[in-house]
This record gives sequence, structure tokens and C-alpha cells, in this order.
Amino acid sequence: MKFFEILGKIDRKIIFIILAVVVIIPLIKPFGLISKASSRAQSVFDAVDAIPAGKPLMISIDFDPASMPELYPMLTAILRHAFAKDVKVVVLGLWLTGMGLGEQALATVSQEYNKEYGKDYVFLGWKSGILPVVLGMGEDIKKAYPADNYGTPLESIPMMQSIKNYRDIPFFISLSAGSAGYETWIAYAQSRYGLKIGAGVTAVSAADAYPYLQTGQLTGLLGGMKGASEYEFLVKQKGYTNQFSPASQAMDAQSLGHLLILILIVLGNIGYFFTRHSSRKEQQ
Amino acid sequence: MNSAHITLAQIIWIWIGAFLTFCIFSFLYKDNPLYRFAEHLFVGVSVGYSISISYHNVLYPDLIVPLFKHGQLLNIIPLLFGLCYFARFIPQVSWLIRLPMGLVLGFGAGASIPATLQASIIKQIQGAVLTPNIFKHWDFFVWALITFIGLICVVTYFYFSKERNKVTKLVAEGGVIFLMVGFGASFGYTVMARISLLIGRFQFLLRDWLHIIK
Repeated sequence: MKFFEILGKIDRKIIFIILAVVVIIPLIKPFGLISKASSRAQSVFDAVDAIPAGKPLMISIDFDPASMPELYPMLTAILRHAFAKDVKVVVLGLWLTGMGLGEQALATVSQEYNKEYGKDYVFLGWKSGILPVVLGMGEDIKKAYPADNYGTPLESIPMMQSIKNYRDIPFFISLSAGSAGYETWIAYAQSRYGLKIGAGVTAVSAADAYPYLQTGQLTGLLGGMKGASEYEFLVKQKGYTNQFSPASQAMDAQSLGHLLILILIVLGNIGYFFTRHSSRKEQQ
Repeated sequence: MNSAHITLAQIIWIWIGAFLTFCIFSFLYKDNPLYRFAEHLFVGVSVGYSISISYHNVLYPDLIVPLFKHGQLLNIIPLLFGLCYFARFIPQVSWLIRLPMGLVLGFGAGASIPATLQASIIKQIQGAVLTPNIFKHWDFFVWALITFIGLICVVTYFYFSKERNKVTKLVAEGGVIFLMVGFGASFGYTVMARISLLIGRFQFLLRDWLHIIK
């Protein structure tokens, strides 16, 4: 019985150390567990793949550095996919603190594919007031964003000459860590202007996104780091990139971490059950 | 980050990043001054960054340039409305804050009520019964049916206006099972998210700082 009592009273610092070890070992020595793409990730991939060369993909960075491990790999994988297919990319964001991440991802990935700013991609940045921006772009992007993130008027950017509003955007992806995020785009850009939307979300909010997938309001869904690894897998499988994939690298650690949590939940509950049982017996 | 092309400035920032990571991790042992230093630094940097971006992306191009450089005097109206927010610091004219607040609330409510009704209520009710491709595969139909049954059970569980009879009690108990499955899925995803964040930090420490992994 003492063993079960110990189970229920393990010092949480010991659990932290075990979890750290369990996560670090597979990062240093990967087991190579196979990662496959879900139908949800495949739908996002297919929608990007279906954009004709020269047409734009719009990506909204609705996250900040706190969600970087989950959503930044999605952003780089999607950018690699788009650039490899010669799809133009328009990046903007509803989260002010995420703008540095967008700039960094565009700078890194555009170099890999020799893409030119203004011709192949554009970074609109962030504007205050979420609703006027999202609704305004449905009428005219150049009115909502008169200039890009660097102050260059959109009128003078070659790529933006053929893009007036959402009607010229075949597919849109919101990489979202909360509100404002994919729900904002669904409510205002899709309901009103019929924008076709896919989403990449943090694992915490993935369960909330499923109803939108069920109704077809979301074309596809990437959930957490697993979703990012699935997209990386698809992009590599098609031969669009051979670059390092951070989310795929993390999947072994993620799997082992989950296994440890499962074991701890089972052991903790067994410990709790037996100690409760014995204390009841003592009371009787 | 490729260690072959790393500059001295990047090395310094990586070391600062590693130091701040350990400061935050130190909270796992107990609350301490290093943790609080990193926490306050994060808040300060976020606010400073936000002010800077707000000025350069919004205030300067959308107000200062049109008003003071191009002489577009109509921009005085949003400027005055914006300044009314600061009236709350002066008790005699603090009521002025109601003007911009009223404008924002009015616009927000007007724009969001029909949009939210359409996207989150009407479409969801419709989607609870008719899902795209419902008859494409047999499993699509089965999942749609389970979703529909789950919806009825859970809504019955939250119906409090009439005393439950045998049938509604049974349906409501079914609703509890669906709710528990939903909570379990959310908890599972939450665990996944937290471990992902931990992995992200370890990737930074092992790759960018120590160069142990690729």
C-alpha cells in the first residue's frame, strides 16, 4: 500500500526532470517514428497546391512569439510550398507582436527560392482596428492598407496591381493562436465576401476549430506542432524542399512526452484510488 | 540557425535568449528574482515594441503624414476622437471618453452581431445536420450522425426549464458522456500544446545555443 501512497505524492520537481529528459533524448537521438498527414492537413495542402502559378495566397499571422514552436514551422512550410509552386504570397497579421516573425520567415524562405520582394511576395504588416481592416480588404485592399509594412504605397508594388480585394485571393490561411484569428476571418471575410479559408491553430484551440471544419467553413486544419509536421511531411514528400523541418524533428519528443503524461495520469489515478480506498477503510 | 554563418551580434542575442529561458524555467523550482526579472522584461519589451509598431504603422502614415504633410484637415476628426480617450485622466471632462467608446462599441456591435450570427450560429446549426460530403463515404455519414446525436444529448442536458422525465434523463446522461469526451479531447490537445512549447525551448537551447542537434 505504501507504494501507491508514494505514487500519489511524487514531488512535481521529479516529474519536471523526468519530462525534460524524456523530451531531450529523442531530440538528440531521434527514433524516426513515421509521421503521416491527416486528411485535414492534406486539405490545406491541396488547396495551396491548387492555386495557379502567379495567383496569390494570403497568409495572416495571428500569433506571437509565445506560440512560435507550433505555428512558425507551419508558416515556413506553407511559404516553401507556395514559393516552390510560383504562387505569389501576401502576408499580413492581426497580432502586432507577430510581425517580426512574419518578416523573419519571409526573409529566410524567399532567399531559398530566389524570390523578389514586390514581385513574388509582399508584407503588409499590421494595422490597428481589426474589423475595419478585415472588412475593408473585402472592398479594396489598397484602401485598408495604403502602404506595405515598409511604407511603400501598394499602388507602386507590381504584384499588387492585379490584386484588388478578396475576389482575387484564391485561398487564405490564418495561423491563429487565439482571438483575433481564424474565427474573425470566417465571421467577416468568409460570411460576407466568400473567402476560402484554411487555418493553422495552436493545439490548445484545435478542438474549438473542428466545428468549422465540419460545416465546411474551414477548408482544412493544421492542429499544433503535429499539424505543422504533417504539412512539412507533405511539402518534402512532393519534393518542394529539402530544408530542415523543426516540427518533424520534434515529433519523437512529442510522442514520448505524451506517453510519459499518459503513464503519470494512470499511475496518479491508481495511487489516488488506493489511498482513498485505504483511508475509507481506516475510517470504518 | 546555421552555426557556420553566425555573427557576433547573433551569438550575444542567443546567449541572452538562453539566459532568459533559464530565468523562466527557474520558476519550476520556486518563485525567485531572476524569474521576476525575465517576466517584467518580457512585459516591458512587448509594450515598447507595440508602441513603436503602432506609431510607425498607424499613427505616422495614417494621421501625421496626411494631416501635417498633405494638409488633409478631415483627419482632425479622428485625432480629436482619439484624444478623447485621454480625457479620463482629467475628472472635469472625463465624460468625453464616452464619445470614442460609443463609436467603437456601436461600430463593433453593428458589424459583429450579423456576422457572428451567420458564421457561428446559423452555419453551425445547419452544419450539425447537413455536413459537406455527407454521403460521399459511409464513415462521413456515421460521424455526422454521431455529431447530431451528441448535439441533441448535450442540448438536452443544458435544458433546465422543465423537470426531466425518464427519457430526457437518459438523453441528458448521454449528453454528459459526449461532454466528457469533448473535455478529454481539449485536455489532450492542451497537453500537446504545452509539450510543444517545451520542445520549442529545448530545440532553441540544443540547436541555436549549444549546437548539439542539427
